[in-house]
Amino acid sequence: MSRKRLLLFLFIILSIVLMSYQSNREKLLPFRFLNKALNQFNSVTNSVKDSVTSPFKKMLLREEENRRLQAELKRLLTEQQKYKEVLLENKRLRELLSLKEQGYKGYQHITAARVTARVPDQWSQTFVIDKGFLEGIAKNMIAITPKGLVGKIYDISNSYSYLLLLTDVNFSVAVRLQENRREGIISGTGLRKCRLKYIPFEEEVKIGDIVITSGLDSLFPEGIPVGYITKIDKKEKGLFQEIEVTPFEDNRKIEEIVLLQK
Amino acid sequence: MRYLFWSAIVLFIFLVQGRILLFDVTPSLTSLLVYYVGIRNGDVAGIFFGSLIGTIEDSLSGAFLGPHLLSKGLVGYFSSFLSGSFFKWTPLLGVIGISTLTFVDSALVFASRSFFDKLPSTIQAAVFIITIKSLINAPLGVLIRPKE
Repeated sequence: MSRKRLLLFLFIILSIVLMSYQSNREKLLPFRFLNKALNQFNSVTNSVKDSVTSPFKKMLLREEENRRLQAELKRLLTEQQKYKEVLLENKRLRELLSLKEQGYKGYQHITAARVTARVPDQWSQTFVIDKGFLEGIAKNMIAITPKGLVGKIYDISNSYSYLLLLTDVNFSVAVRLQENRREGIISGTGLRKCRLKYIPFEEEVKIGDIVITSGLDSLFPEGIPVGYITKIDKKEKGLFQEIEVTPFEDNRKIEEIVLLQK
Repeated sequence: MRYLFWSAIVLFIFLVQGRILLFDVTPSLTSLLVYYVGIRNGDVAGIFFGSLIGTIEDSLSGAFLGPHLLSKGLVGYFSSFLSGSFFKWTPLLGVIGISTLTFVDSALVFASRSFFDKLPSTIQAAVFIITIKSLINAPLGVLIRPKE
C-alpha cells in the first residue's frame, strides 16, 4: 500500500473514530472561537450596510407613506362626496315630504318614486320610475316635484312605470296665468320648452308670468306650478298669441317624484 | 504573506458562503476552495487543506467534529486525480469532476450527520439540496484547472 493510500485510509478511519467518539459524548469543536470573530465581522458589515442602505430605506418608506396617504385622501374625498350626495338626497326627500303635507284638494298622495332611467329616444320625452302596478301605481297618476308639474303616468308594468313628461308633444294640461287668471292649454314641443295655446291676441301677458294648472281638465289638480313665460310672439293675423313657456322643473335634473291620484 | 493571503481567502469564503442563497440552498464555496487546492497542489496538500477547512466548518456549524472534516478531506484528495495523474483534465471533465465531488461532499456530510447524530433534513430535501449544490458548482469546473 502506497503512503498516500495509507494516509487516505488513516484519514478516513480517524474521521469515523472521531465521529463515533462524539456521538454520545461532549462535542469537540476546536475552531469554535472563529464563530465569535465571524459574528463580529458580520455585525460590522451589517452596520456598514445599514448606514449605506438606511437613507434609501427611509426614502422608500416615505414614498410608501406618501402613496398610502394619497390613497387615504382619495378614499376620504370619495366618502365626503358620498356624504354630500346623501345630504342633498335628504334635502330633496324632505321637500317631497312637504308636498305630502301641503296636499291638493281632492287628490291623495300615493307614493314617492325614483327615476331609474330616461328613455334614450330623442322623440319621446319619457322617464322610467321604480314603482309599478304592485306598488299601487295606476295610469294617469300625476307626477310632481317641489318645483312643479313633471308629467303623468302613461304605461305601467308590475314593478316599474313610464312617465310622460310635460315637454312631450303628446302631453297637454289645462293651465292658468297666475296673474291675470287667463286660461289656456299647455303642451310639449319635444324640446325643453312648452307651448301655451289659446291665449287671445288682445290679452296682456308679460315675460316671466307664472303658469299654474287650472284643474279644468279634471285630471290635474288646481294650482300646481308649471312654468314661466319666456317668449311671446304676437302675430299680425290670427286669434291667439304664440307663447313659449319654460317648465320650472328641468327634466335633466329630476331624480325623485311624488305621485298623486284623484 | 502567502499564509495571510490564504487566511483572508478562507475568511472571505466563510463569510460569503453564509450570505448567499440560491433556490434556498447555500452554495458550497468551501468545496470549490478545497477542490482548487487539491487540483493545483496534489493529493497530500488537498487532504490536509480539506481537513483544515472541514474542521473549521464543523466547528462553525456547531454540530460535531467529523462530517466536513471527512468530506472535505476526501474532496481535496480526489480532486488531485483530475490534475493529470489519473485523468487528463478537460473543461468537461472539470465540470463533471467538481459537480461529482460537491455531490459526494454534501452527501457525505448528510450521511455522517444522519448516522452519528440525527437526520438534519428529510431525504427529499437532502436530495434537492445536494443536487442544487453540485449544479451551482458545476460551471466553475471549467475555470478551475490544474497547473500547466
